[in-house]
Amino acid sequence: MLNLTPLILLFPLIGFVLLGLFGKRLPKALISLIGCGVVLLAFACAVADFVSMLGVSGAAQSSNITIFNWVTSGGLTIDFTLLSDPLSAVMLLIVTGVGFLIHVYSIGYMADDDGYWRFFSFLNLFIFAMTLLVAAGNFLFLLVGWAGVGLASFLLIGYWYTRPSAVAAARKAFVVNVIGDFGLMLAIFLLFKTFGTLNYSELLYNSQRWCPRGLECSFDQAARLAGFAGQSTMLAIALLLLVAAVAKSAQLPLHVWLPDAMEGPTPVSALIHAATMVTAGVYLVARAHSIFQAAPASLAVVAVIGGASALFAATIACVQTDIKRVLAYSTMSQLAYMFMGEAAGGFSGGIFHLTTHAYFKALLFMAAGAVIHALAGEQDMRKMGGLRHKLPLTFWCFVVGGLALAAVFPFDGFWSKDTILSSVLERATTSGDFGWYVLYAAGILTAALTGFYTFRLIFAVFLGEYRGPEIVPHGAEHAASAPASRPNGRNAARRDPLARVREVGAAMAVPMLILAALSIIGGFYDTPIKPWLNEFLVPSTGPAVELPNGSGLFWFSIVLSLAAALLGIGIAWARYGSRQPRFAPSRNPFVILLEHRYYVDDLYDRAIVRPIVALGRWLRRDVEGVALDGGTRGVGGLIGGASKGLRALQTGYVRNYALAIFTGAVLIVLYYVIRP
Amino acid sequence: MPVPVSAYLTVSAILFTIGTLGVIVRRNPLVMFMSIELMLNAVNLSFMAFAHFLNSVDGWMFIFLVLTVAAAEVVVGLAIIVSIFRSRHSINVDELNTLKG
Repeated sequence: MLNLTPLILLFPLIGFVLLGLFGKRLPKALISLIGCGVVLLAFACAVADFVSMLGVSGAAQSSNITIFNWVTSGGLTIDFTLLSDPLSAVMLLIVTGVGFLIHVYSIGYMADDDGYWRFFSFLNLFIFAMTLLVAAGNFLFLLVGWAGVGLASFLLIGYWYTRPSAVAAARKAFVVNVIGDFGLMLAIFLLFKTFGTLNYSELLYNSQRWCPRGLECSFDQAARLAGFAGQSTMLAIALLLLVAAVAKSAQLPLHVWLPDAMEGPTPVSALIHAATMVTAGVYLVARAHSIFQAAPASLAVVAVIGGASALFAATIACVQTDIKRVLAYSTMSQLAYMFMGEAAGGFSGGIFHLTTHAYFKALLFMAAGAVIHALAGEQDMRKMGGLRHKLPLTFWCFVVGGLALAAVFPFDGFWSKDTILSSVLERATTSGDFGWYVLYAAGILTAALTGFYTFRLIFAVFLGEYRGPEIVPHGAEHAASAPASRPNGRNAARRDPLARVREVGAAMAVPMLILAALSIIGGFYDTPIKPWLNEFLVPSTGPAVELPNGSGLFWFSIVLSLAAALLGIGIAWARYGSRQPRFAPSRNPFVILLEHRYYVDDLYDRAIVRPIVALGRWLRRDVEGVALDGGTRGVGGLIGGASKGLRALQTGYVRNYALAIFTGAVLIVLYYVIRP
Repeated sequence: MPVPVSAYLTVSAILFTIGTLGVIVRRNPLVMFMSIELMLNAVNLSFMAFAHFLNSVDGWMFIFLVLTVAAAEVVVGLAIIVSIFRSRHSINVDELNTLKG
């Protein structure tokens, strides 16, 4: 079997180094070629890997490549190992494939930006770190990739570093992500202390090492791990891994960075904060499913976090007016779906939703970026409307993405969301536990809310009358202010404020069309009739938990989720589509609560940020300033004062020194003379 | 009447004290050098006296050593004085106090 995983990592790294070192002096065309070319090469390798993996079956699909030995210290041996298996193959395809489309889109979106080379080198760095994250064969290199994508995300959110809000958002994202990194690091320490190894192949997949000596060995890896280490240790490891997953995937209570991360350029939002990086947490839970299953209580925690985050984010998305923030909250809500599916045991379902979500959410962000680009940076849906005629391509792409996000048949989101809800309901009926029914109800309610906020966004942006000011495109500002063109520009403005709005160019349109096509057909590789992806992922994620095909509950779940989505769309039509939408400030206390995002940011600000800042100020002023600086200055002053007296001896006159020597000699002689 | 050893030592002590005072009070480095020569020769005198009265050649050996060292010292010292004079146009030792603390 082919294994080109090292090349998949190498190409983006080459691109990053080349562009980072020499990009400033290269022409734009060459930067685009290098930036996109390396990702295309990586994608080609990922496809080749994937296709060759289809040719073999079972255990032969997984192979480790050890590139070099990194650390050997006592019992600890860390190799730079890349694991190639169905899960990493699927993830690599998504990361490099969607990543490539977004690179191409960026050629159009960032065309006028001064830091073009910087942007592409950062994007390539991100692709490298993300491919390392999903291809790593042990937990330590997972951590390297994990921190690497955090760094790339920080650099790209703060890409427009002259904007204070972008810098603040980048810092916030980095700090919250580091909390997750810390959790992952502690989990790694605990894993090493317990098992003495960090390799996936030994920890996560059928390994005889952890069988109790002399006793019959259970077939299930999770049971082996639990038997070897004990329930409570496994629970601690799983919860620490969950801290990392929750921080990266922006779930409660560490979600606060994702909406702010929309300060970055829109391609970054599409690539990092929708399609790939934020799914790392979902990937981690699926990858380490043996550890989570070894401590079932941790899966209950995953379920609670998933259900709460899904509802929390979906409700907030209903009142946001910044189109990118609506999409950011919907991302959080969809990631919560993935966690719900994984909590119920449907790990492959979570990964399935990850792939379909990557298509339609990248598409939605690209379309949102096209709107923002056309309106010269406007992101507030209150100042939009009626763009359907000006941006027909963007409109239809948005509708396709919206239908997929709302999970309407037969778009891809329908299949994957249905798989997840089916897992949850199956779990509810087999266990009979009331909590799973609540989780299922949260999922259905979120489906309705998703339909509502998605189509509220589409109707408010594309239907009705235009509500904003005249649009002066980027680059045309100078022309407009030139005296010769002024009368023309003004007359045109009076006639139509959207006169200068143009549909996107080919570089942005082609990736959108490809993703729109994927959003329509992308669900068909895992339907209840032929759950192909599910079967493909079994070696990596274990068998799925799903409702039996064709049963009454199976149809009930499908109809219920579809009805919920259509109900949400209907309400959105009634309030925003059929008439001119109104965005008057509401006095409804629940809406105010939502507009303040449940006051979570304010709570964190009051409870954590401000005390820490106050502590820092106090440390700087009183500890650093008074105690430490004072102490240092005191020692210096003491020595200075003492030397001031002694300095008088050092006159610089030879005769004084001679006299001192002479006196000393005389004293020595006197000592010997008068000594008894 | 043989001259007692204490007479030699007294002369030596007087010469040494004169030399020391010269080094301490004079400002001209040339005179200070002459004073140092005086101190060295005072020591030589006491060496000679002891060598004579103890019937030993050790003292003579030391006198030769001291004479050689004194010659070398004068050579080096004069060279330093010349170079100081070239750079500062003065050899008044009271002005050479840049090492003052």
